[in-house]
Amino acid sequence: MSQSKGGRGGAAAKGKKSGKTGGEEQREAALQALIADDFQTRFLPFSLDKPRCLLPLANTPLIEYTLEFLAMNDVKEVFIYCGAHSEQIENYIHNSRWLPIAQSGPFSVLEFIRVADARSRPRWSRIIGSDFLLVHGDLVSNLSLEGALAAHRARREANRDSCMTMVLREASEGEHHTKTRTKTPVFIVDPRKNRCLHYEETNPFQADHYVDLDPTVLEGAEAEARTDLIDAQIDICTPDVLALWSESFDYELPRANFLHGVLKDWELNGKLIHTEIVTEGYSARATNLQMYDAISHDVLRGWAYPFTPDCNLLNGQTYHLQRDNVYQEDDVFVGDYAEIIDAVLGRDTHVGSNSIIQNSIIGRNCKIGNNVRITNSIIWGGAEIGDDAVVEHAIIADMGYVGKGAAVREGSLVSRGVCIAENIDIAPTTVLSLLTHDRKSLDSEPGVVGAQGKGAIFQYPEEDEAGPEELARLENSLIFNLDRFDIDDSSVSSIGDDDFSDDESEAASATPSQPTARSRLSSFASDDSGAPNFSSFHADAVHGLLEVLRGSVGDFDSEKLEFTSLRLANNASDVAMRKAVATAFVRRAVELMNTESGGVDAVKAAKETLTSRAGASDFVADVGVGGDSVSDQLEFALAIQRACVSTTKTMEVGKAGNLLAAMLQQMYDLDILEEEGLVAWWEDARGKEGEVMPVVRAKCQPLIEWLENAEEESDEEEETDEDDD
Amino acid sequence: MSTQKGGYTPSLEKFLDGLKSRPVQASVDLLVSLLKRRQIKGSEACATATAHILLQIVARDKWTNVDQLLGRIQLIGRKLVAAQPHELATGNIVRRILGLIRDEASEDRNDATTDSLRPASPPVPVPSQTSSPQKPVRPPALASIGSFARTQSMFNLLSDPNVFPSTGSNTSTPGQVSGASTPILNPQATNVSALRSEVIDGIQEIMDEIKMVDEQVQTYADIFIHTGDYILVYQPSRMVQKFLARAASKRKFTVFLVVDPSSAIDADNQYASLFKSMVSSGSNVITILNAGLMAYMSRVDKVILGARAITAQGGVVVDAGAAAIARAARERRRSVIVLGGVYKLSPECKLLPESQIEWGDPSKYVRFADGSLVSHVKVKNAVSEFLPADHVDTYVTNLGAHAQENLHTIITDHYKEEDIKFELYGKAQR
Repeated sequence: MSQSKGGRGGAAAKGKKSGKTGGEEQREAALQALIADDFQTRFLPFSLDKPRCLLPLANTPLIEYTLEFLAMNDVKEVFIYCGAHSEQIENYIHNSRWLPIAQSGPFSVLEFIRVADARSRPRWSRIIGSDFLLVHGDLVSNLSLEGALAAHRARREANRDSCMTMVLREASEGEHHTKTRTKTPVFIVDPRKNRCLHYEETNPFQADHYVDLDPTVLEGAEAEARTDLIDAQIDICTPDVLALWSESFDYELPRANFLHGVLKDWELNGKLIHTEIVTEGYSARATNLQMYDAISHDVLRGWAYPFTPDCNLLNGQTYHLQRDNVYQEDDVFVGDYAEIIDAVLGRDTHVGSNSIIQNSIIGRNCKIGNNVRITNSIIWGGAEIGDDAVVEHAIIADMGYVGKGAAVREGSLVSRGVCIAENIDIAPTTVLSLLTHDRKSLDSEPGVVGAQGKGAIFQYPEEDEAGPEELARLENSLIFNLDRFDIDDSSVSSIGDDDFSDDESEAASATPSQPTARSRLSSFASDDSGAPNFSSFHADAVHGLLEVLRGSVGDFDSEKLEFTSLRLANNASDVAMRKAVATAFVRRAVELMNTESGGVDAVKAAKETLTSRAGASDFVADVGVGGDSVSDQLEFALAIQRACVSTTKTMEVGKAGNLLAAMLQQMYDLDILEEEGLVAWWEDARGKEGEVMPVVRAKCQPLIEWLENAEEESDEEEETDEDDD
Repeated sequence: MSTQKGGYTPSLEKFLDGLKSRPVQASVDLLVSLLKRRQIKGSEACATATAHILLQIVARDKWTNVDQLLGRIQLIGRKLVAAQPHELATGNIVRRILGLIRDEASEDRNDATTDSLRPASPPVPVPSQTSSPQKPVRPPALASIGSFARTQSMFNLLSDPNVFPSTGSNTSTPGQVSGASTPILNPQATNVSALRSEVIDGIQEIMDEIKMVDEQVQTYADIFIHTGDYILVYQPSRMVQKFLARAASKRKFTVFLVVDPSSAIDADNQYASLFKSMVSSGSNVITILNAGLMAYMSRVDKVILGARAITAQGGVVVDAGAAAIARAARERRRSVIVLGGVYKLSPECKLLPESQIEWGDPSKYVRFADGSLVSHVKVKNAVSEFLPADHVDTYVTNLGAHAQENLHTIITDHYKEEDIKFELYGKAQR
């Protein structure tokens, strides 16, 4: 109730300034839009040499849909802010029909904002003068924002703290292929005022699907928890949003960071954020390959009408719809008895006889041989598919080559220029590229692509930040498939009503008492990641520690301080701390083992990790173990074990086992862990659960045996025995 | 939602408003993208927009001879048709204007041989009486008065020395021009400016024709609707509604209003004015859903459908759903009457019926929110349908009622042979 009074007060204050708002009204005649980039890399390996917004969706670059959407809603001034490959985007726009020369385009201003300018406040306020639309370059939408804009203006007139309106598309509660499945956004909305009260993201790897609400949020408000919305991140913002954004440098993601943060600090900043939930029209963002795939098929089936392929958005496109829902450009050759259903065929594409193409999008200048079967796939321009080849639910980038009789199975991604030799069968979910993630050329792996082939398996860069690795893996893949992951896929079921305490203490403290819950997850990294704050603590802490371990910044004295403050700021539990410390040290050891200049073996890596930086061992003893009791040591050893297990995704299990043994041995030598602690760990049941845990653990058998035998012997002998492993 | 405030969404009105302030090429590009985005849709809107843009080209582009102008119109016409090939009206207007230019040009040439110093202004009203036979039907005085004010403003443009230098001085004092080379140029220049104004007049008339189609068609209402008739209409367009209202002012009859179940919810609002005018004059309106249609067909005397376009062979492009009604009517031997302006009558003869079906947004039938349906079921929603010629009994245009056989004569009256052959559709209609 109190806030609605505040709103009225705000309205009265606004009334006095009516002269000024009148002036603003004049300027609003030109609606502005900002196309942003969220720097996520979910399109690897395709986004290596091309920015995501220039990748073709149904043979039209993604950014065309975004700009059409803006033009459709009568946006006049567009600012494009791009991160990676900005020069390519600029080139593209400069050669496009959008350039405002001689009033030919719909926009009167089309400008680029360089990353260097982006952080500076004056620059922003100079160009953005009034309400603006914030969208992303990968948006496909046919929504009319008329209503949302009017509602936004009315709200802003009434209360100038209403700083943002999010336009959300209603979808179903259950399965929907255009909803992001790797993340479920949860909007807590006051349905009477359309005000957004709280925002969280949940993901399938969470142990529990709870959203914790600050009870003050609910005071005097009705609340609905909505998980059925497609969030295409179309935001109508006032310039205040930019101010809020630049106030906090931590905000990276517009939803998980910015929105969550602003709503959480509502009492501090007093800003109101509203939602406009629409039930008609189409809007979606190609945030990852699954969404890209889903949107491609939506476009093919006409959901984004009028943006169907035969709308011919680009100059020179000549698509027209033929029988069986085939959109075909001019000069396409289709051989006899070829069966094409639900497809898009670009110009000069040649389809051999008896080939079958279903539910697929083929670019321009493609050569498709005889007896080829292509289903549910997307093939970009200039690709060549040899006779008798099979492509099932895959993406083949431009100039890709699939040899005669070869097969590309479900979920595979074949990057630009990759060449698959004859009769090679590419296993499901293989990712092939010519380049590594840092754009060095990869040596071809004849074992994968055949003797004459080009290309090798692409390794995704290791992410130091942001969340569980499985989530990243899932987001990078083309097919959403949870079978490979051992998780519980329940939906968001209820709202936790614990009091003022923040979410992570609840989530983290709950875990030790629920050993079954954590063991359900095969990986330690995704363990108890329920609350976003917790995972951000984990990510920040691990990142900070790794930096220190690598020797690039700081020393352990200052890191200890920082770590402690981070811990206090996030109210992280002992479990979370141990986990962070263990993960950081194990990752550093893995880095040492895998360095390009020929890795060292596990023992040396462990030693290097724990001794090369002054104070490292003390840090582990003080912060990681945190006490002298046997149970503390047990927990830490367990954390190390889990961290090692989590490395088995990038490393063989045997190596991980060696590393665990070496780490424990080293810690024993450094008096971080003691006999009792290690023996207690060895006997603890939690270390034997799951499939990988015992395997990794087995390597420590000799160490434990030696410990038990050496019980009577004096401690001096350690020094001589340590390197025998 | 989209109608409130006049708003931000571009529309035909906003397009026409900004037409004069924009460079011509910019207007063309804008219209192309509006057509592509379907922000201008429907045959009337498309025809109006096409006529306006071509008027701008005739008035403001630099052209020195007829062939240049024809080439320009053809080029723009192709672009517009390619942007929305389903709207045949666009192509019709382009062809009509091409024919108009040819008429005026040939007349000018004849004039030039007889008297080469014909004054450019004032414009001679309707010099092409003989060539366009739709004019006697329409009251000509009304048309020319209505368009006169606008013509004047177009004339201001013409006097702009940048657009066309030396016109003023040449026309007013042709004798003063010195030198031996200019006399050849001069009559030409005079002709160009005269031609320009005549073509502009002609285009204005086409625009007026489009505007008045509804009124003209409804004058035939009492010929077709008799007291006690049972008339079936399907999602009546404004033209059909006016037609019914006109008949209701004189006679009492019953209308079966068929609406598609998907749009049944807002049917009451949409047709409120129809209900009102029908009921106030004592006629009945019965709303039926498409599904229950067949049961009523035995009671129906006539089916009246609004056309989106009419082809030369007599096939009609209608709103999706109307073809089934026509088929049902044919089974019962009920007469099917199609209403549509002459501008909807397309001379295009190479059209394939299936290419005339426009597929729209499936969300009319399946909510996009329904995830499992969206993922697993292929839903297609036709916006328009093709009605074969043998399903139609009578065509009513602003020129009167026609049988299928007569359509050809209307086409030859309105279009030039060379324009009918002109490939507007390019490869798109293969």
